[in-house]
Amino acid sequence: MSQNIHQPPKSSAKEPSGLRAGLVRITALLERPAWRITFTIIGITFLAVVPLLNLQSYYMGVLCRILMYTILAGSLNVINGYSGQFNIGHAGFYAIGAYASALLSLKLGVSFWLALPLAGLLAMLVGLVVALPTLRLRGIYLAIVTLGASEIIRLIILNWMSLTGGPNGLRGIPAPVLFGIKFSRSQQYYYIFLVLSLIFFFISKRVINSRIGRAWISIREDETAARSLGVEAMRYKALNFMYGAFWAGIAGGAFSPYFKFISSDMFTLDEGFNILSMVIIGGQGTLAGPIVGAIIVNFLTEFLRPISQYRMVVYALLIIAMMWLRPQGLVGASRSVLAERNIGLRRRRKPTAPAATAVKGDS
Amino acid sequence: MAYILEAKGICKYFGGLKAVEKVDMRIEEGHIFGIIGPNGAGKTTFFNICAGVYRPTAGRILFQEKDITGLPPEAIARLGIARTFQNIQLFRYMTVLENIKIGFHIRTRSGFISAIFHDRRYRDEEAFIDAEAARVLEKVGLAAFRDTLASNLPYGLQRKVEIARALALKPKLLLLDEPVAGMNPLETRELSDFILRLNREGYTIVVIEHDMKFVMSTCDHILVLNFGQKICEGDPATVRRDHAVNEAYFGKGLVMGGLS
Amino acid sequence: MDYYLSQIINGICQGSIYALMAIGYSVVVGVVGLVTFTHGEVIMLGAFAAYYTFELLGNNLVIGVLASFLASAFVGIFIFKVCYERFFNAPRHISLICTIGTSMLLRNLAQIIFGPNNKPMLEVVPNRFYGQGVVGFTLVQLIVIATVISLSFLLFIFFNRTRWGIMLRAVSQDKTAAAMMGINVRLTALLGNSIGCGLGGVAGMLLAIYYQTLVATMGGSAGMKAFSSSVLGGLTNIPSAAVGGLCLGLVENLGITISSASFRDMFAFVFLLLVLIVKPEGFGRKTGVRP
Repeated sequence: MSQNIHQPPKSSAKEPSGLRAGLVRITALLERPAWRITFTIIGITFLAVVPLLNLQSYYMGVLCRILMYTILAGSLNVINGYSGQFNIGHAGFYAIGAYASALLSLKLGVSFWLALPLAGLLAMLVGLVVALPTLRLRGIYLAIVTLGASEIIRLIILNWMSLTGGPNGLRGIPAPVLFGIKFSRSQQYYYIFLVLSLIFFFISKRVINSRIGRAWISIREDETAARSLGVEAMRYKALNFMYGAFWAGIAGGAFSPYFKFISSDMFTLDEGFNILSMVIIGGQGTLAGPIVGAIIVNFLTEFLRPISQYRMVVYALLIIAMMWLRPQGLVGASRSVLAERNIGLRRRRKPTAPAATAVKGDS
Repeated sequence: MAYILEAKGICKYFGGLKAVEKVDMRIEEGHIFGIIGPNGAGKTTFFNICAGVYRPTAGRILFQEKDITGLPPEAIARLGIARTFQNIQLFRYMTVLENIKIGFHIRTRSGFISAIFHDRRYRDEEAFIDAEAARVLEKVGLAAFRDTLASNLPYGLQRKVEIARALALKPKLLLLDEPVAGMNPLETRELSDFILRLNREGYTIVVIEHDMKFVMSTCDHILVLNFGQKICEGDPATVRRDHAVNEAYFGKGLVMGGLS
Repeated sequence: MDYYLSQIINGICQGSIYALMAIGYSVVVGVVGLVTFTHGEVIMLGAFAAYYTFELLGNNLVIGVLASFLASAFVGIFIFKVCYERFFNAPRHISLICTIGTSMLLRNLAQIIFGPNNKPMLEVVPNRFYGQGVVGFTLVQLIVIATVISLSFLLFIFFNRTRWGIMLRAVSQDKTAAAMMGINVRLTALLGNSIGCGLGGVAGMLLAIYYQTLVATMGGSAGMKAFSSSVLGGLTNIPSAAVGGLCLGLVENLGITISSASFRDMFAFVFLLLVLIVKPEGFGRKTGVRP
């Protein structure tokens, strides 16, 4: 039979086979709402039951840390991954939350359940203060300012002896009490972290899938276009920053009664890079990314305990590897500018607000 | 006569470079208005001033008699002016539908509370956005491409998506920066018809263009810039005959029959 | 009054070290076209190279300069291969995050190899003082200033009077055009990066000599100061970067007279913030690609 040259040749794409087909089908399945709800319920039940397995408190401690870091990494991801801003000083907000809740309960006897949201609010306000001068800045300028802000916060905490105890830190932070139950062991505190983490992800999911989230994503993808469509870039970037800072404050606020002791050297720049590496490795721009990142990084911390000085070296290598191979992170947003690796010549002509790059007369 | 957009004595200097020099412009509501001129004439700079990207060094812009000089792009969009870009600035990694949805940002108001609790306002607005986005897609004939990634579309359709996204704002004025740049004659014709159709529906449209055939056949009124200054303003016939315009395009030495 | 004068002298001296760091940074960012986080670690490694050179070969300043320059230039090559070469056409944030990772890598490796403690660097330069009472220059200060001035002078000659210098300037202004002129852009960027890092290395040596101590974690604050100083020049303009460094040195030393020494590092940040608020694109001519 002679081939009709006006018809396109028959498609010769093979059906994906084996593992790839399996993965494709599983992810397609997960898209369906019924399955997602079931899966979520199973997952949460499983998580809720873990403490009853009576693991050693060491392992419970690891799980508590992972849960706390999902909130820290998640909140950083909202800033870096959803609005395209670049914050590397997240430790600062974490510190503010931790010290705020510790001081409120130690010096003013405020109950944990009130101190916690207050800690978040204070961190949020500081987030606004940091964000304001940076709204017009891009890339490295913004990053360095957040870095500096984090350090300033730490230095202030370190030097304000009368309030924070300076280098000695704060001890004996009281454990939260609810209906007579004292949350002093990690088996119990686990539930606080679990509930906070679940609340964080529930709220974040809803916010991201709403008008606000869409505005954030549009700013990330193309700020100029977003502004021309009426999205108030400055306002939404500030809101985004405040949202991320709030939750970092909550994580910190929950941390201090858990650990019962805090000092400024727990909130150094290295800690900020620790959180950043979770976001970069796990993934930016998706809700799962920071969870995956928190799990991986904290597992590595445990595995690498015998050679703990090499821990940061390993994270550094992972960050570099990620940038080389998959800039959006392991499970990050592939369908976004975060995943772009080659933009070639398209980079040049963008009229941006502060530095008018159009010095030559445009057409 | 109601002028929907007026520019009075607009100047824009970048250091020593006079990109735009004392340009006046008056656009009547319901017109298709063209801004043309050789390369480097200051068209896009002037355009960007109208759109709020640049602040003019001197002069004022009035939209529906209201002074909008120096307002940021977001405020200008809110007032009812929508624009497209010379290098199509779609959200490349979003689908066509997602691109259009962003256009509804200023027509909705849901905030954090609504988002978290999925209250009445949230549900109503999401339904509104879904319905309206579908309607816009139908209107421009792109419903079939709803879930296609914007960057996977052919150039001509990308331009249409960008315009559709601008229409989502329900603007009173559309500013199109070189809409048919890079298009073949067929695509140009299609877009020209599309723009004429929009105009018949009531949109006032301002176009920067190089393509003379397009400009002469589509625009009601034309402003010609050269070296940042206005050298002519009038209907296509007037502009075609104007001596200064011919000189600008063809040079002093050549006396041609005019632009065609 | 004397106290303030001596602080001004301190300011000029430290400021010249910061100027050298900032010049190196501007060269790197200007020629490569990508902003980096690694300059602090480059400075730190130069300091350590000088330290070990002094330990092994005695306190010869010239050899120290050479050693620190070459060591940091070498590290610069590594950084180039890892963070820049692959990402010339990628979105800027990718190389930036890569440099964050690399700076983490270098800093922590240094802590492992050199130990986390301060190392003393004493008496490299004899302790002599020229002046009256508190006001005057120590020999160290004079040598620091002299080194910075001579290196700046050499750099100026190199950039403006040699063929390689022209190539570097061309690449910093427009890589595509430079490539079309037959310039090997990759190699030139590599060279520019190495030169900038080398200057940073010498600055590290000077820091160690001046403070008589060095530590693997000194890169953090050094990098911040280099960045803050060069922001004045929009990150690429060399003379403005030098001016920025001097200003920062003066601001810092006069600033600690009114607050406490423990806030010293904060001044860099405050200085940076002021520049970014007042004139984000910096001073200096608008030549070259602004990051």
